[in-house]
Amino acid sequence: MDLRLKLPEPAPEGVVYSLPFGFAPDGEKCDGVFTVAGKDGCYHIYIYINGTAEEKYPLKDFREFRCRQQIGTSMAQGELKNGDVLCLCAFTQDLFLRYAQLMKLLEHYLRTGELLTDTGDDEPVCHRCGLPLENGQECVFCKSKGSTMLRLLKRIGPYKKYFITAVVCTVFSELIWVLMPYLDRLMIDRYVTPKLKDYSGLAAIALMAVTLLLMAGASEYLNMKNSFRAALNLGRDLREEVFEKSQQMSMGMVSKRTAGELINRVSGDAAKLEEFITANGKDAIVKILSLLIIGVLLFVMDWRLALMTILPVPVVFLIVGKLFDMMAIRYTKVWKTSTAHSEVLHDILNGIRVVKSFGSESREIAHYENCSMKWARACVRAEIMWYLTIPLSEFILTLGNFFVLYFGGKMVLGHTMTLGQLIQFTTYVAMLYEPINWMIHIPRTLADASVSAGKVFEILDLRPDVVDSTDAVDLDIKGDIEFDGVYFGYKVYNPVLKDISCHIKQGEMVGIVGHSGVGKSTMINLILRLYDCTQGEIRIDGVPIKNISQKSLRSQIGVVLQETFLFDGSVLDNIAYAKPGAPFEDVIKAAKAAYAHEFITRLPDGYNTHVGNKGFQLSGGERQRIAIARALLHDPKIMILDEATASLDTRTEKQIQNALAELTEGRTTIAIAHRLSTLSGADRLIVLDKGRLAETGTHSELMSREGVYYRLVMAQRQTTKMRAVKTEQA
Amino acid sequence: MNENQINDIDQQLYKIDRLTLLDCKQISFRKEKSGFLTLTYKGETFHRIDPTRLIPFFSKTTYISLSYENGEREFCEVGVIKDMKELDEEQYGILDSFLEYKYYMPEITKVSGIRDNMQGSIFVRADTTSGEKTICVRDWYQNFRMLTDKYLYVNDADGNKYFCSDINKLDRKSRSVLEMFT
Repeated sequence: MDLRLKLPEPAPEGVVYSLPFGFAPDGEKCDGVFTVAGKDGCYHIYIYINGTAEEKYPLKDFREFRCRQQIGTSMAQGELKNGDVLCLCAFTQDLFLRYAQLMKLLEHYLRTGELLTDTGDDEPVCHRCGLPLENGQECVFCKSKGSTMLRLLKRIGPYKKYFITAVVCTVFSELIWVLMPYLDRLMIDRYVTPKLKDYSGLAAIALMAVTLLLMAGASEYLNMKNSFRAALNLGRDLREEVFEKSQQMSMGMVSKRTAGELINRVSGDAAKLEEFITANGKDAIVKILSLLIIGVLLFVMDWRLALMTILPVPVVFLIVGKLFDMMAIRYTKVWKTSTAHSEVLHDILNGIRVVKSFGSESREIAHYENCSMKWARACVRAEIMWYLTIPLSEFILTLGNFFVLYFGGKMVLGHTMTLGQLIQFTTYVAMLYEPINWMIHIPRTLADASVSAGKVFEILDLRPDVVDSTDAVDLDIKGDIEFDGVYFGYKVYNPVLKDISCHIKQGEMVGIVGHSGVGKSTMINLILRLYDCTQGEIRIDGVPIKNISQKSLRSQIGVVLQETFLFDGSVLDNIAYAKPGAPFEDVIKAAKAAYAHEFITRLPDGYNTHVGNKGFQLSGGERQRIAIARALLHDPKIMILDEATASLDTRTEKQIQNALAELTEGRTTIAIAHRLSTLSGADRLIVLDKGRLAETGTHSELMSREGVYYRLVMAQRQTTKMRAVKTEQA
Repeated sequence: MNENQINDIDQQLYKIDRLTLLDCKQISFRKEKSGFLTLTYKGETFHRIDPTRLIPFFSKTTYISLSYENGEREFCEVGVIKDMKELDEEQYGILDSFLEYKYYMPEITKVSGIRDNMQGSIFVRADTTSGEKTICVRDWYQNFRMLTDKYLYVNDADGNKYFCSDINKLDRKSRSVLEMFT
């Protein structure tokens, strides 16, 4: 990263780092430069404000540097050896990463006495959007991808057999329809106008018409059958791919999207595209083809009348062209309101227990109605726009027909054209208007479908940020875990965990303790590799976690969380979720070990009892025991218990503790608990404080040390005592 | 443990439950070198005060929390200023300039165009109170959103924030450009 973005004038000798900033330490806007310069181990920080060196600090006077992110600005701070904290400068967020890097390098200097001068160049960025280019390749956000709709049509590839059959059948039936007016002409000119009573000739034409109609019907049937096959398969592919992608996304990516939004993309948008392909995909080819065939026929029959027919077409297309952008805006709005509607619906129904317990049904009904109304209003706006313009366009389009009737009629009366020819001509004109009309309607459907296609491809094009390395292995885990200088933050450079180094031995039970938000669950998230650490390395059995395939890793780690999630299904389904196809006896053994068998047996339908949505038909303790049974059946090498008993009463906790003792037997176990008594069985405790590993040892070792853990225990004991006193007083 | 110690812990534990509205007449701020403020309140001095707007999107000058981190880096709140209008002019100026700097957020005054890359990012060409910019917004459904019917809030790819307090007051072209994305 380039840390010499702007040099002061005149620059001091030996500039190592130099970055601009926009706010003076007192918060006033300015044109400033933060410079680190010097030589032979004697370095200074220079703060230039509006061209003048306002401050100069020896680097050795500091004991810590940090970057503090605020809301709209951030500041670089230094803590002097006497404990005073100085704001060195402040800047907007676009400079944050550079300053964060600079502060880290200054920290490195304080620790090692070495000032790294080679900070490298900036990552190459896209000149259009300014986002980093990965491996110097073309920007994934800006590269030309061609039309989104073209991408959609290309996905027909695997079903081209069906698609081509459908197109051929449609072309065939279109040709039959082109022949029909010719038969009309023959009938009128040869038999009707001369009033010729040649019934055999008439019958032959009628027979031919019936045969052609039957052939058109058969061809239409084949067309529909094949086009539905192609479209439905395409829809299924899209749905499955979007769902698969949603499963592959890292936790960081998933948490950015609401479940409602993802549901909308998996079902709503994919269905819309499916419908688009069924209704319009092949039509595009056929309509253009019939436009050409009929157009040529009309010009062959009478070029002057044909010209009159197509005279209004350019005007109509001009209107339609303008309409497309307006429709795209309105349909994006429809998409947004429909997604918001799904999100609200999903949220309310998911939190129905909360809604009911607060008696806020009427408020939620009003909330839902408001979203529903916004969606309806967006749809109405889009449709009104459409239906205001389209009748006018259609009227302009059919003006040509009036000219044809007037001049064609005159030609018939003047005997330069037969009645049959005129009827044939006007029928063709009507047939010509059909594809043109279709083209007029295309902006509406295309705008609607391209919005959905864009949203679907947006998910499909996502690149997961936690990926298996190319040489990732399937490891048969024994359970030895090592954290080596691990830093991690949900926001890069705002670390939750700082320099964590510890070793959890195979088969050991380790408790992680510390205040809320200190990074206990984050450590577990890193072991599960739901996120990648920013710096440092985690090794399992000596193998870096990044080199173990995610599937292999997670299949050997069992997790029991505070909030147990049960799927809508039976008790059996939920326990066997960990090991599909496990023999029923194994399920019972797991349930017994988890102290769950007893209550399951008392349920009316035993293991077939339906647990209801999220297991709401069971108590918290029962749900937890099912989760433990599930984890036992999974037979993991590493067991993680994240506040597994926090929400239970003491009696239930006792039972669960027994179940957990079974579960953790001989396995590497990592447990998190606020209630420190829960961790009494741990071999060792890891104490986190302010994101750092403060101490480690057994309960008695840590108590005798009277450090962070001791204070935690004492505070908890006192709180318990006070609660007891208050309860007694009450 | 004696009665007094229990009372002390009791106070520490339950102090955080109380909302302390500060008497603005007794507030005195001073800018300090750490980048924060020093507060003197009812004769007591608190260092490294970091004022926070509790409802930044609804009000910039009401419900301002005054807090600091103690030696253990724990959050300690002195109290809340209900309305900055009650401060005298000098104190108002110091606090307001700190908040404006902390919450530095250029206002969007005109939107000339928005390009959607159909990959979740949009590029907004806009005039702001800190000049003309092309604002790159990733995951725009989350980061380019209306907080109320008229308040637009934008968080760009670098973490810079922008806002428009009333999009209805923008010129017609800006409104029509924004329509698709708001």
